Amino acid sequence: MASFVPTSEETVEDQRLYTQARLVEVECLDCLARVGVKKNSEHQTSVQWTAEAQAQCPDLVRRKSAADGARLVHARCPRLAASIEAAVADGRIQIGAEDGY
Amino acid sequence: MADPTTQTRTLDHGTQPERFARGWHCLGLASEFKDGKPHSVEAFGGKLVVWENTKGELGVLDGYCRHMGGDLTQGTVKGDEVGCPFHDWRWGADGRCKQIPYARRVPLRARTKAYETVIRNDSLLIWHDPEGSKADYDILPPELPDVSNREVYTDWIWNTVPIKGSHCRELIDNVVDMAHFYYVHFAFPTDFRNVFEDHTATQYMASKGRPDVAGGYGDADMFLKSEATYYGPAYMINWLEVDYKGFVTEVILINSHIPTGPDSFLLQYGITVKKPEGLDDKTANFIGKKYADMFGDGFLQDVAIWENKAPVQNPLLCEEDGPVYQLRRWYEQFYVDVADIEPEMRARFEFEVDTTKANEFWHEEVAENLRRIEAEKASEPVETSEGVS
Repeated sequence: MASFVPTSEETVEDQRLYTQARLVEVECLDCLARVGVKKNSEHQTSVQWTAEAQAQCPDLVRRKSAADGARLVHARCPRLAASIEAAVADGRIQIGAEDGY
Repeated sequence: MADPTTQTRTLDHGTQPERFARGWHCLGLASEFKDGKPHSVEAFGGKLVVWENTKGELGVLDGYCRHMGGDLTQGTVKGDEVGCPFHDWRWGADGRCKQIPYARRVPLRARTKAYETVIRNDSLLIWHDPEGSKADYDILPPELPDVSNREVYTDWIWNTVPIKGSHCRELIDNVVDMAHFYYVHFAFPTDFRNVFEDHTATQYMASKGRPDVAGGYGDADMFLKSEATYYGPAYMINWLEVDYKGFVTEVILINSHIPTGPDSFLLQYGITVKKPEGLDDKTANFIGKKYADMFGDGFLQDVAIWENKAPVQNPLLCEEDGPVYQLRRWYEQFYVDVADIEPEMRARFEFEVDTTKANEFWHEEVAENLRRIEAEKASEPVETSEGVS
């Protein structure tokens, strides 16, 4: 059952554009977890994980068990961040937005 | 499809959900309900009754008696039960009618809607699920260490603001809204990051106040470090470090809400301040009150926007904007049946924006505002002892 229902086709296309378009698959150089990355500009980064990738990243797994439901530790995984930087540096991730986003 | 760059863009208002979110909802400070009287709380399109039993536990039921619809919130607490003002049917916190004083036996079907309750961080939380599931205690918001210890933290300052004409998702949208801190709350966001995962959504934000406007967080001597996590759809813990002229205060802000109808909700926020070393209680409470006022003003700045804005399913974004579509996808998990939750609603998503670029524009604008304010001051007539010159 859908909840907030859009009333136009274009909205569904916007949802796809903003959440899925131009996500580039990046593999962590360390644990090989695969995430989707989008950079609309030099200073803006989105990282879309999957449950499989989360389970594969030792950094996230360790922090999750340590946090134990209390205040969560949300810092990004430094090894994945380095892998993303490497992907930007060798041109695998295009920087830029389609019509503003 | 027509070329979208030449087409007029329209707002898709969409249709609002017919149900209320699944999850833990906060009804307010538990102590407020502990006076031996039944209390009325508007929630989920109806009314709830809340009362304290003889063991000091709080019961929460649907507000209307299953006999003839009497309003239990106007009834009387009798022992562990709440008695209806109409015919004195006595209802227990488990949702069963325990006694009908004028009848030999109670009908077996005399069961009403009871809510599972938890006291967390001094507040009363209840589990709501349109599908009627058992409460999920694994996803309760965390307990804040020492928050109930009045030696360590000040008393809670708890405020409520009824909001009409807005769906509570407007409030949730703020999690990703980097730019509104400048325009609505008068602060430069200097650092901004979001993480959504499972039933939590977090915003990390650092800001400093604008020097050109007062009110809200506008004050050049004010630096905020904020970490705010929604645990489920309606209960946020915001850990704040407020640096005012070098004096750092740890503030806990609870930001919760109860949906009351399809486009109305009750915003509730509570503030407690970690008592700074060496300060007496009076001063610590004064600081607590000051920050409660400041963050209260902040909410009212948001409310003014919400009450006048249009609902929009298809926000148009620019490249500095936060991930509003991903946040709404996360929020959707609380409105669909459990069986219909998609993996991407709960999968980890991270967003980071370096606000340097946006702040370059904003600093220019503020500098211009300050020049204008100076110029206006200079041209104003000055009062002297000889009168206006």
